[in-house]
Amino acid sequence: MIRNTRTKRAVIASALITAGAMVLSTIPAQATETTGVTATSIKLGISSPKTGSAGLVYGKVPGAMKAYFDYINANGGVNGRKITLVSHDDKYLPRLAATQTTKLVLNDKVFAIVGALGTATHSNAYNAARLARNNVPSLFVNTGFSGFASKAKYPTAFMVLPSYAMEAKIMAKFIKDTPALAPQASFLIAQDDEFGIDGVGGFKSGGHTFAATPTLYPQGGLTSALAEGALTSLSAVPGKPILVLFGTTDTTATILKAAEKLALTNKFTFMAGSVGGDANTLLALGVKATTVDGVISASFFPDAKDATDEYVKQFMEINTKYNKGVSFDNTVLQGMNSAMLTVQALRAAGKNLTRTGLMRAIDTKGSTFASAGLAPLNYSATSRVGYNGYWIGQLNAKGELKPFGGKLTLYTTDSASAPVTASTFVRKSIPKNGIPNN
Amino acid sequence: MTQFITAVLTSLSSGAIYALMALALVLVWRSTRVVNFAQAGQAVLTTYIGYEVIQRTGSYWIALVAAIISGAIIGAFIDRFFMRPIFKRVTSGPIVLIAPVVATLGLLGIIEAVIGIVWGLNNQSIEPPVSNAGLNVNGTVIAFSLFNAFVLGTVALAMILLTLLFQKTNIGLALRASAYSPEISKLSGIKVDMVRTLGWAISGAAGGLAGMLYVPSTYLFPNAMDILLVFGFIAAVIGGLESMVGAVAGAMVLGFAINFVTTYISTTLVFPTAFVVLILVLLIRPSGLFAGKKGRSA
Amino acid sequence: MLKHRKKEDKKDHKKKSHSSIDSPRKRLFLFILGGWLLLLLSNQVDEFSLYQGAFVATYAVGIASIILLTGYSGQLSLGHGALMAVGAYAGALTINNLKWHPVVALIMATLIAGLFGLLLGAAVARFSGPYLAGTTLALAISLPSLANQFPILGGQQGLIFDVGATPARFGDEFSPYKWFFWIAALAALIIIWFVANIAASRFGRTFRAMRDNPIAAQLCGVNVARQKVTAFAISSGVAGLSGGLLVMLITGVSPSAFPLSLSLLLLSGAVVTGLYNLKGVILGGLVLVVIPEIAESLLTRIGGSENLAISLPGFLVSALLILAVMFTPNGPEHIFKRKH
Repeated sequence: MIRNTRTKRAVIASALITAGAMVLSTIPAQATETTGVTATSIKLGISSPKTGSAGLVYGKVPGAMKAYFDYINANGGVNGRKITLVSHDDKYLPRLAATQTTKLVLNDKVFAIVGALGTATHSNAYNAARLARNNVPSLFVNTGFSGFASKAKYPTAFMVLPSYAMEAKIMAKFIKDTPALAPQASFLIAQDDEFGIDGVGGFKSGGHTFAATPTLYPQGGLTSALAEGALTSLSAVPGKPILVLFGTTDTTATILKAAEKLALTNKFTFMAGSVGGDANTLLALGVKATTVDGVISASFFPDAKDATDEYVKQFMEINTKYNKGVSFDNTVLQGMNSAMLTVQALRAAGKNLTRTGLMRAIDTKGSTFASAGLAPLNYSATSRVGYNGYWIGQLNAKGELKPFGGKLTLYTTDSASAPVTASTFVRKSIPKNGIPNN
Repeated sequence: MTQFITAVLTSLSSGAIYALMALALVLVWRSTRVVNFAQAGQAVLTTYIGYEVIQRTGSYWIALVAAIISGAIIGAFIDRFFMRPIFKRVTSGPIVLIAPVVATLGLLGIIEAVIGIVWGLNNQSIEPPVSNAGLNVNGTVIAFSLFNAFVLGTVALAMILLTLLFQKTNIGLALRASAYSPEISKLSGIKVDMVRTLGWAISGAAGGLAGMLYVPSTYLFPNAMDILLVFGFIAAVIGGLESMVGAVAGAMVLGFAINFVTTYISTTLVFPTAFVVLILVLLIRPSGLFAGKKGRSA
Repeated sequence: MLKHRKKEDKKDHKKKSHSSIDSPRKRLFLFILGGWLLLLLSNQVDEFSLYQGAFVATYAVGIASIILLTGYSGQLSLGHGALMAVGAYAGALTINNLKWHPVVALIMATLIAGLFGLLLGAAVARFSGPYLAGTTLALAISLPSLANQFPILGGQQGLIFDVGATPARFGDEFSPYKWFFWIAALAALIIIWFVANIAASRFGRTFRAMRDNPIAAQLCGVNVARQKVTAFAISSGVAGLSGGLLVMLITGVSPSAFPLSLSLLLLSGAVVTGLYNLKGVILGGLVLVVIPEIAESLLTRIGGSENLAISLPGFLVSALLILAVMFTPNGPEHIFKRKH
């Protein structure tokens, strides 16, 4: 190929030097067990969407977490250390999640990742940022994808949200047990991604059959035209069919508004998945209060408007003081709750803070942490599952989620084939002033 | 049967919206030979202006007028102070064809970024001026409302007015001549630059109208019109980029295809349908459905 | 077949003297020199910079594909993200289902994407200007969602693309990011060398003739349609490689990894650093990676709202794009370089 001998020699020489350099490569410094921890500070990181459809639901999370951390810092921090949260926007794109998470690990040198968001995003980011290899904990992942509980695949990850499969199973049991709903035909409209598809699987393992194959729509592709078409064809079904909606809030709103347009709001019973059922957002997006009234949804938290709940009340106060300008809603509640769990984990790990120690602390003591969740936490030496239950509620015209039938019943299950059972779990009272003392 | 009727009605509504965007794009194309990607940004900006007007006056109609007028002003402004310098600087080499398009892409990004900074990234709502409740026909409520009828009517009106403008008036003739052959037009005494700016102004106005008609049925956020731009562009290409009627026809073809496929085949095929329709049309008629003679290759 | 003809061209041209890049011997030398320098550099730099460097190389390959198609043969494509996706999925399937070596996977990514580009190019060869732009735009938005239709493509979750552990001979402590960087940088160098060769060859002259004056080219006996398809195919193959590299870096391919904004980002990168000049390719990749960083450090300095933080990178890229079009429409190099 190369005719000129001089060039040929240059090429061979270069190749030899290259090989030599490769063999004699220097070894870069490795991450340690205490990266991100100093005598006075702990650095945590989060990569999450702040815009778009997912940003609509989860955009407030980093701010809420930071507000809680600020509150704790103002009250002595954790074992004398102040917590800082580095937050990057990944726009819910796997490509950006991978780079931002890698940046958090390599560049920002955080101690742990908290509240990572999204299935496709975090499963890519987890591997790309080599979290397993570097033993970086990924605490309280903000998604219902049950796969993150697998220690084999994600050795440093801890779930917190109940999985979408759990939610679907519990909804299925609810439909079966409710006399008004059981005989009705049911249909599922779901987003064509992890929100929806996990839900489809969950209903199946819950033994629930829909009257037709689920309608899946592409993410961001549910136009009002599509919704109107779907609802029109469903309006021919006799009785009062149940429409289960598994998607983000803007798509739930689109479907509800289409029902308003076609005067079909009373034709169906709407059940909205927890991700897309935030009443505040639905009302803000133009859904009428009369339509929201009666929508069934699931939650494992107290309702964010319920100021009689001690956790809600305390978080609301923290929000007003440390998260100015942001209205308190279910997302803020969720974010602060995760932050509270994080603080308890850090405390439980002791003054000699290491990554392994942090994870062991959650494994051994995590199930006893105080939290706003009404379902139990299931952390143990063999389980990385967080909450595993839901209660079913109904929205009223004010956008409050009240227990269906008046009495709050919590159901727990798993992501596989275990049955759904009513639970008698009573959550721990909030520590004084919302400051953990474990 | 109801499903079929619903599909037809929703297709008409979707098609009408795509048509507005397509009209705006064809307007700029016919007067400047540029595909104006910034159209989405202009349209959403004028809609935010309309939103502000509604916040202050409570009237959709005043906001609509404001949006159209500001759309025209912004369109003219962009041509005069943005496109014209680009045309002046880039006069040689094949970049001539690509530079304006790429520049409009850049402009789109800037407009949307500025909107995000000024108004924030959250969804806002604009209420429709007339009821968006489905009309009651013989006892059943159909998927067509007064508002849908209003949109359809407005689009038809816009199409007629614009066609009349281009075909029957002197200004229209000047617009077409300046685009096709600027040198000869100048020799004929046509102020080519001013005429071109006028074309952009009319296109901007059409975009402002499009935004105010589209947003009440969805939400207002910086990227709200992006998907509309994509569908509008595809519709315009299907129709042939050469006539107003073509733009509307292409939009209807696209709207019907998408809505029927999602109703009867699968809801996940929205985008692939658009692609298939486009490529089928172009394979049969490479210049689009309504393009007249072949000869213009760019 | 293609390579054979290229070799003959090289033999013809060796005797002539060209300016710096044009001599094939010089090209090869620069290629090796560049590789060697990057290798030495990679030992001195921290892991995150290596990771970013790998992205620069990946984007550089993507930009090279655009330069080949738009700069050299005058066809505007807004859908290269889709072609990257084709390559990415092909590569992932090769590793997961065929269980072949990652390097083979990258080669498969290039070939399959190239084949796809060949078919697509054959269909759209007659389209010009805005029609081609529209078609590629539609392709960009529709192709990724097709992955949901076929379970073998992993649906919305996507497929894993894991190049596995770094080769054992480098030891346990060898950074995977350095490994990524080497792979990506090597691929980028090969591609740049390859595209530069094409540009200097008979193909390159034909493309340029076709771009500047298709009618005259046709009169000279150039089969314009066939050359367009060839350019499209090669460009798609290069884009496919870029896609394979990208998913290597994020360890997985899913429909949401290739949004329309990626296609537009690549186009912007290509225009900013010179649509006609390969030299700008590395700079282009650098710009795409560095802008968000600059935006972030700007923000930490001047403070600002959340909205500003999110909107600023897009603003900067767009502003850069407009400035580039206005002031250096033929690339910054072109001010000094004489015409081809």
